[in-house]
Amino acid sequence: MSIISVKNLEKRFGDVCVLQNLNADIDKGEVISIIGPSGTGKSTFLRAINFLDPPTGGEVFFDGEIITKRNVDTTRRRMGMVFQSFGLFSHLDVMGNLTAGPVKLLKTPKKEAEEKAEELLKTVGLSERAKFFPRQLSGGQKQRVAIARCLAMSPEVILFDEPTSALDPTMVSEVMAVIRNLAKSGMTMLVVTHEMDFARDVSTRVMYMDENGIYEEGSPAEIFTSPKKPKTQAFIYNIRSYNYEAKSRDFDHVEMLVGIENFCFSHAIEKKTANKIQLLAEELVINIVTPKYGACSLNLSFSEKLGAYELSVLYGGEGSNALEAAEDELSAMMVLNSAKEIRHEYAGGTNTITASL
Amino acid sequence: MTINKTQENGKLILAIEGRLDTTTAPQFQNVLIPAFDKAKEVMLDFKNLVYVSSAGLRVLLMGQKTAKAKSCSMTVTGVSDDVMEILEMTGFSDMLTII
Repeated sequence: MSIISVKNLEKRFGDVCVLQNLNADIDKGEVISIIGPSGTGKSTFLRAINFLDPPTGGEVFFDGEIITKRNVDTTRRRMGMVFQSFGLFSHLDVMGNLTAGPVKLLKTPKKEAEEKAEELLKTVGLSERAKFFPRQLSGGQKQRVAIARCLAMSPEVILFDEPTSALDPTMVSEVMAVIRNLAKSGMTMLVVTHEMDFARDVSTRVMYMDENGIYEEGSPAEIFTSPKKPKTQAFIYNIRSYNYEAKSRDFDHVEMLVGIENFCFSHAIEKKTANKIQLLAEELVINIVTPKYGACSLNLSFSEKLGAYELSVLYGGEGSNALEAAEDELSAMMVLNSAKEIRHEYAGGTNTITASL
Repeated sequence: MTINKTQENGKLILAIEGRLDTTTAPQFQNVLIPAFDKAKEVMLDFKNLVYVSSAGLRVLLMGQKTAKAKSCSMTVTGVSDDVMEILEMTGFSDMLTII
């Protein structure tokens, strides 16, 4: 039996319908990533499940029991939530934040609650911060405390609402590491996230939200490798491409190279392939095309057809294959030997050199 | 990219760490070429070099020529598989003294 079951869920804010006829069954131990463009109701879906924003239609069942305004408090004790903005009690230290819920709501003896809090702080790597107040912690540490506080209530399900969106990029990994470990432990989790690495590598199921509901769902492989519906395809392919405009011969080399490096890193592209991508971009754009033809644009994307990355460089002028006309023989040789296949096309006044990896 | 310099029995060792590309090659050139005024033997430690592009190879070529002109030696050590692939692809593995 599903731990959470959503039937014909509807959520309206005045005249605006955010969710309509949404159905979902979530089994124990599932790790579900909820992805999609902004404004498609991802967070609203989570908040409707635990009645922070009660649905305007339909039903939500938790462990077979329908959730109503009357029993929602009991249900929330079994279904924790971690917010984007942490939501810690600023007047309590870390230990106080972790023990307040168990002591007041679950009537756990204080000593027992503190012992459990110490254990949880260990698991999120913050044992030495028990006496710190939230204002003394970094964003990443605050979010780890928020996760530990959620776990202190021994929930059966945790809802994560964009847990890393408010964090400095340097702090994202420390929080994601804690969430990854939690996923491995068998905790049932619904995670609204923009961290595609997490959605792809850790989830058991991915829900893509659009058009007032779950537009497409499937395994990470199904959604990320072969999405079937047009909006999912557009979203997935868009996040899998990188574009850069070199506006003149003196364009910012560092900006382009760092952009490609970040793209490769965020898409978990294997180091060897990432180096080849960097090499092709550097030799083609910096040494071959811009010195002779001036402005050009670079597009790096994943080709579904080939199952491989393709790098294209577009430039103007008359039809001319920059590689054949290259004065820089060393760079041309490196490009030709690094790519699996190279092709040149000329159409509508634009030359395109495409290198497949 | 960082370059660490050490002297060992009259030999100057330059340990390169990071990426040798268009943006970092000038820094490498500024260290490598004057090195032949300070030592007869220059060893490049590539153990922590993760990437090299044509800009880096050009500096290596310049270093090789400078060493020859000044009757010095330039050797390369600790080359990773990825960097070796580039050196082999371009014929630099035959031109350089790799130990």
